[in-house]
Amino acid sequence: MQLLAQDLVNGILAGGILAVVALGFSLVWGIMNIINLAHGAFVMLGAYATYQLTKSFGLDPFLTLPLSFVILFALGYVIQRFLINRVARAPILITFLLTFGLSLLVVNVALLIWTGDTRGVTTSYSGANFTLAGVTVPWIKLDTLLAALVITGLMHVWLTRTRTGRAIRATSMDIGAAQLTGVRVRQIYAIVFGLGAGLAGVAGTLISMSYAMTPSMGDPFLIKGFVVCVLGGLGSVQGALIGGLVYGVVEAFATQINVTIGTQSISGSGLQDAIALIVLIIVLIVRPTGIVGKAVV
Amino acid sequence: MRHVRARPFDKLRVTLGGITGNPVAFACVLVAMALLLFVPLGHNGYLEIVFRNILMYAAMAYGWNLIGGYTGYVSFGNVTFFGVGAYCAGVLSAHGVQNLLAYVLVAMVVNAAFAALVGLPVLRLRGHYFGIATLGIGLAVADIVENLDALGASSGIHLEQADEAHFSIYYYAMWLVALGAMLATFFIARSKLGYAFVAIRENEDAAAVLGIAATRYKIIAWAISAMMTGAAGAVFAPANGFIDPSITFAIDSNVFPIAMTILGGIGTAAGPFIGAVLLAGANEVLQNAFVNSHTLFFGSMIVLIVLLLPRGLVWVFGLRGGARTWLKTLTAFRA
Amino acid sequence: MSLRLSAAAASAALLAAFAAPTVPVSAAGDTILFGAPISLTGSLTKEGHLTQEGYDLWKNYINAHGGLKIGGKTYKVDIKYYDDESKNDTSAQLAERLIDQDHVNFLLGPYGSGTSFTVAGIAERKKIPMVEGNGAAERIFNQGFKYTFGVLSPARRYLEGILDLAHAAKPAAQTVAITAASDAFSQEVAQGAAAWAGAHGMKVVYNNKYPDTATDVSSLISALKQTNPDVILNAGHLQDALLVQKALREQNVIAKAYGYSVGPDTPDFANALGKDANDVFGGAQWSESVKYKGEPGFMQSSSEYEKAIETTYHHHADYHNAESTAACLAFQYALEKAGSLDTEKVRDALAKLDVTTFYGILKFDSRGLNVFKPMVINQIQNGQLVTVWPKFTANGKPVYPAPPWGQRK
Repeated sequence: MQLLAQDLVNGILAGGILAVVALGFSLVWGIMNIINLAHGAFVMLGAYATYQLTKSFGLDPFLTLPLSFVILFALGYVIQRFLINRVARAPILITFLLTFGLSLLVVNVALLIWTGDTRGVTTSYSGANFTLAGVTVPWIKLDTLLAALVITGLMHVWLTRTRTGRAIRATSMDIGAAQLTGVRVRQIYAIVFGLGAGLAGVAGTLISMSYAMTPSMGDPFLIKGFVVCVLGGLGSVQGALIGGLVYGVVEAFATQINVTIGTQSISGSGLQDAIALIVLIIVLIVRPTGIVGKAVV
Repeated sequence: MRHVRARPFDKLRVTLGGITGNPVAFACVLVAMALLLFVPLGHNGYLEIVFRNILMYAAMAYGWNLIGGYTGYVSFGNVTFFGVGAYCAGVLSAHGVQNLLAYVLVAMVVNAAFAALVGLPVLRLRGHYFGIATLGIGLAVADIVENLDALGASSGIHLEQADEAHFSIYYYAMWLVALGAMLATFFIARSKLGYAFVAIRENEDAAAVLGIAATRYKIIAWAISAMMTGAAGAVFAPANGFIDPSITFAIDSNVFPIAMTILGGIGTAAGPFIGAVLLAGANEVLQNAFVNSHTLFFGSMIVLIVLLLPRGLVWVFGLRGGARTWLKTLTAFRA
Repeated sequence: MSLRLSAAAASAALLAAFAAPTVPVSAAGDTILFGAPISLTGSLTKEGHLTQEGYDLWKNYINAHGGLKIGGKTYKVDIKYYDDESKNDTSAQLAERLIDQDHVNFLLGPYGSGTSFTVAGIAERKKIPMVEGNGAAERIFNQGFKYTFGVLSPARRYLEGILDLAHAAKPAAQTVAITAASDAFSQEVAQGAAAWAGAHGMKVVYNNKYPDTATDVSSLISALKQTNPDVILNAGHLQDALLVQKALREQNVIAKAYGYSVGPDTPDFANALGKDANDVFGGAQWSESVKYKGEPGFMQSSSEYEKAIETTYHHHADYHNAESTAACLAFQYALEKAGSLDTEKVRDALAKLDVTTFYGILKFDSRGLNVFKPMVINQIQNGQLVTVWPKFTANGKPVYPAPPWGQRK
């Protein structure tokens, strides 16, 4: 019983990070109809940004959150304005390939700058934890979850209450009508993509505290981001959060399956990716709009 | 040369390179294939591998082209069929079967069944969702195979190979697979099947209203696509001598055939081959020239292809107005 | 029209470009050419570069010291590299290219078990001897290949030393928990450890695997914690070793010994974990404190080797450097014994090789695997790597049992 409670907590904590990864990805996909395969690479850049900032300036990694956001937002904005925008209305296939090529580029440039060495971000409180009702909770993971909740909340507020936020939602609803009301679509697209990249950067910062970084670290997060997006519902802030938490918990519980039939071991942990993907496919077939349903952000 | 083409599809021809695409291009491709028959005579094992890979990617590109290009269902998981085909060969080899033809036939049957089975639920999805689902299938199958001891798990399967003197048999087999895929595409495109596929791509609901059994044709398209890809995998396995999940279900192998088809000309009969030659060739040249950073240049290349040739070379060939019209297309997709 | 023509011309040019045979840089007169496909990009970049360093160090040393004297003639050595992007099939193709296009005399192995396996197949078919120092999976050597030799200790032996230590302590450790990544090498390490434990009366109370792409192992560790193991072993790679150690710390898992197949020996491990890396054991193929005395012809002591790497590459010698150099050394001594460049004679000389180097003994069983060299177990003590096992080469005493978290220095 205690193990189940621990798993639940583990899952929620892990899910928080995945929610932030999925958030940026989901916004770009839902609003601009672009599947950004370079999202994992942006996450990686966010992690490395934190690494550099903590190493060169001795900052606490949590303090680098806004910096990481700003750096990646700027990068994303520029990339969209001058590169992605050229194929903004192209069929999904084209943007898919473009972002794939972009991802290769970013990862290889990172490889040239930082080499393939594995790096980590360590703080004085890195392993610290507390125990409540028999469940051990690591501080960093808890703080990460809280940060994820705050960020998700901020995004939701920004998108519903501010002028730019409303312009974004209008663009995703109906481009023509939005333009008629004076919304500059090209600008909005650049902002949204920048936002997606910025959120990826933030996710990278949070990840860097628990996960060692290499230039190719973004891949597993990209795939999980995919699953969480679809699970939660495209383009929806709440969807990303709920999808992330559900995914984290399912993965945690699946890990407990560990049986051997004859010589074949069936390990839920070893199969966790397959399980997640099968869940994804089932959700797509049964309820493609995801848990939260088709929200327009 | 004058060519007879069904008139209602003339417009399609300009926008998409037609159902079969530029016939001159296809003729060139056939000539190139004939030339490729002479490669093993040079007795250069390395060159043989390079061209064999081109043929392999061409077959995979044709496979993708059928479901993604002609039918409009963009699959990001076709590598699954390649892997399944390779493992069919692997399992047969482990049971003592050394016959290439057996490998290919079993791979084709198994893949057709697999595609039909999986296609029933999955082909009901449209657009992005179909793409994501296929990506998921590919990754899930790779993961499951990695955990199955009966298939060697992550250690993979070692296959018996022909000896050095007879090694070119794998080259010729791959050549046949590529030729088969090519010709199948050409003839399907001109047949009722081909028109049904295109109709589904253009407007599936209208097609259904017109009496085209969309579900059946989609499954057929995917099954044929799977057979082409699986056959390539079945020849690759013994040629490589060793297969494991990382080789046979590589995510990159999803992207290459797609990029090749786009480069060459999506929805045409010549495009996949042309794209395969150019892209695989460029990759080889880059490997030579930039030993340390060729992936960087490869990534740049993909970006450039997408930006400059989103519809492919074969289509560009058929453009009236040549370069000027092409330049106009560069801004067609802007927001 | 012109577009068509120019595109056709471009394709023809491309086809010609890579079809044109490169000028064969073969054993022109007095150079022996080795070929090596290694991972200069891709997921195994770091290890690939360390391998290259090991090869190059040997090449430069030999050329600076008058070359190799074989059958009365003196030869210089050269190595041709290609990047296999850490991909198995690319490695095999490049091996073919090195043989058919570049006409190399012999092959030096790539990095990794998967790549080594595929290249071994090529070596076998083309009958070109290959010595590798970076693929420890036994399946490579269970195929009956006659042309491939591996200088490293096999995967199964990686973690035995830790179990041996714990078992010999008073009181002896009784229970073991094993976590392993899904890849072939890690699985072999795990199976070897489980087998050793079983054969020596220790009980394996937890044994599970995780995919290489795992981003979180907390639940795995929670389940492991419930079984209260004396010894916790991990067979994986640096990335997941860090994940596991962090998770152990975060969930307050107390065990008497923590051991990793990969991790502690790389400085990145200690850098990323700080104090939490202390008192962790790691298996290594070699460590600079190892006390073998090598035969003449090359550097004879580990400290000399360490200094050379430090001077040339500005970092501590990594065991990946040493095992790569050892692969070259196997060729060196085999060539000298064979007295000729003939591939069959060299292959036979390799099969009969029995020589001690700074790295350890180089001797191969009938499968081509160096089962005669024991692994070295190091422990991180106060941020420094100390060799603690086997006894004849240890330069420190193991810290066992490990002190609780938060009390490590």
